[in-house]
Amino acid sequence: MDNKKKFSLGSFLMEHREIPLIAVLVLLIIGVNLKIPGYIGSNYMNILKNCTLNLVMAAGMLCVLLIGSIDISVAAVLELSAAIAGVLMRDGYISSTFMMLVIGVGIGGTFRLINGVLRRYGRVLPIIVTLGMTYMARALIPMDFILGMNKIARINLTEHFKDFILEKYMGVPLIVFITAGVVLVIGLFLKYTKTGRSIYAVGSNSEAAEMRGVHVKGIKVLAHVICGATAGMSGIMRLAEYNAIEKGAATGGEMYVIAACVLGGVSVMGGYGKMTGVVIGALLIATIDSAIPQLFMGATMMKEFFKGILILAAILLNVILQRTAEKRNLKGRNI
Amino acid sequence: MKKKLSKLLRWETMLVVLLIVLWVVFEARDNGLDAALIAKGRKAKDVFNFSKMLNGMGVYMLYSFMALGMALILGMGDIDISVGASATLSASVMGISYRALINGGTANGTAFAIAVAACLLTGCACGLMNGILVTRFRELFPMIITLGTQLFFRGFCYLFLGGETLKFDGDATWGQLKTLYNGAVTIGGYKVPTIIFWFLGFALIFFVFLHLTTGGRKLFAIGENRTAALYSGIRVDRFELLMFVICGMMAAISALFYVGSASATVRADAMTGYEMYAIAVVVLGGFSTAGGKGNIIGVILSVIIFGVMKKGLGTLYGFADSTVNLAVGLVLIVASLLPNVMEDISNRIRVKRQHVTIKATE
Repeated sequence: MDNKKKFSLGSFLMEHREIPLIAVLVLLIIGVNLKIPGYIGSNYMNILKNCTLNLVMAAGMLCVLLIGSIDISVAAVLELSAAIAGVLMRDGYISSTFMMLVIGVGIGGTFRLINGVLRRYGRVLPIIVTLGMTYMARALIPMDFILGMNKIARINLTEHFKDFILEKYMGVPLIVFITAGVVLVIGLFLKYTKTGRSIYAVGSNSEAAEMRGVHVKGIKVLAHVICGATAGMSGIMRLAEYNAIEKGAATGGEMYVIAACVLGGVSVMGGYGKMTGVVIGALLIATIDSAIPQLFMGATMMKEFFKGILILAAILLNVILQRTAEKRNLKGRNI
Repeated sequence: MKKKLSKLLRWETMLVVLLIVLWVVFEARDNGLDAALIAKGRKAKDVFNFSKMLNGMGVYMLYSFMALGMALILGMGDIDISVGASATLSASVMGISYRALINGGTANGTAFAIAVAACLLTGCACGLMNGILVTRFRELFPMIITLGTQLFFRGFCYLFLGGETLKFDGDATWGQLKTLYNGAVTIGGYKVPTIIFWFLGFALIFFVFLHLTTGGRKLFAIGENRTAALYSGIRVDRFELLMFVICGMMAAISALFYVGSASATVRADAMTGYEMYAIAVVVLGGFSTAGGKGNIIGVILSVIIFGVMKKGLGTLYGFADSTVNLAVGLVLIVASLLPNVMEDISNRIRVKRQHVTIKATE
């Protein structure tokens, strides 16, 4: 038996799950460009801008998925943080843009802290906690003491906050830079810090991690808090981008966040997933969003249909790929 | 005596107590409001009483059929969050096929019968798809799979309907669905909506199946320990598949009533969030999301509690329907937290007692 590592396509694809995804993305871009010449060239900045909110949330969701949990309250948390921060700005408590971002992160983080504590120390299943939290967040938004008039509009915001996020530096809107910053920070945190590696360890085998001296419960709560913080942050980003927020504005957003992660090859059982994959997943969804209505003229509803099929197919394909790779590995051992 | 007491201390008893407490509080508030009105010299409105509660119950019953199907799924430790989408898909298939048949020149009655059959079949097909995926792809949580199929089903709704709203306002045959929902029977002076009878009838069937037949035992056995159930000779995959199909069918039945309620219209984004209500009702009813535990009587009680709570908070305290969801969320979390906390406390007490007895023997 030779010790040389044989090249096998299956295990290669297993290790680099984002490669088939890149292929799909490239194919899609080529396809769209064939149909409408120069489409991507003139729209790539829009596509980048459209994927930002989803991507910021997906970066947080990655942490939660890595520990083998799930969070379906992100869209509601987004609305809640945007609503609270918007009201604070309307009533004149905050005027600085930076403080808005801090407040947003704080609100999201606190909300998810409650969530994580309930999950870890009360042993309530994640779906039930996040479901209940979704209800509560959505219910809090229109209440009199938070959103007196059900809507935050352009006049309620300060001059600087209204426009800062779409201001262009070197032809790129600031929102893209902010997103890149968040993605980079969380990606590096996951890859190169001890705490970040502990998140992977807890996800792949929490008992072993506990034996190694990792504070499992603490790490799990931390992952939830990161997820909430990114959701809160994207709430503020959304408020700055659209200059308005109302209840139910982001309904269903959580599905696309989870979809971006799953498309990017993140295992929902925890322990496996890369930030690069998530970025490509989010880009792919934004490209579909932008390109499908162009491909099928006049059928914006086709978008929903294709998104549904694609996401389901990607989830299943991921498992099938994993299975074939495992089979190959087993075969290799037998010989 | 002690045994009897512990038998009384069940989840269902707690639900009954909760219901009575809610009722008393709401009744007191209602009386207070009426007294204030009379003091001002106006007539008492009496917004909250038994007959009005019965009358308004129909709206809160819509997701109760889904809840019965969901009870089967949660009992096995799975979850299905695509029921709302599959109900909408069933409704839109029903609407589309009815319109196509009418345009094709079929008689109204036959067209309607075929459309209803198509609706139920679509529900079953949605359930079948969920079931196949869940049993074939065991690595994935049912939640992730049904999240995917939810998008998939909604996508089909958008494909079929686009942005349009199917309306059959003047159609008498289609109007049968309206009477199905709006109809009422007078019993002893009270007007009881027929939807309540439908619900109780289905609940009875589900109660018999879950608690009095081997099927129910199998279901809870799977929920308790899937591997053990497999090795004790239960065809787990086949059984689970069947349950998912039934869950899909119940969603389609919900869709029939929904179409009746929403002035006979179908939209692609109808019934979003119904799955959450269904899950909330079942969890409050005492079904554990980990599987293996639950009682249909609890589900019936919690459907009533949800109705009373929503109606009471809405009419007596003036909360908007969305604000009432705060209470729904809170109840959901507390309901799933409470058994765990109680178990922790009882364990601690037991350990303490053992310590005491050990000390005593020493």
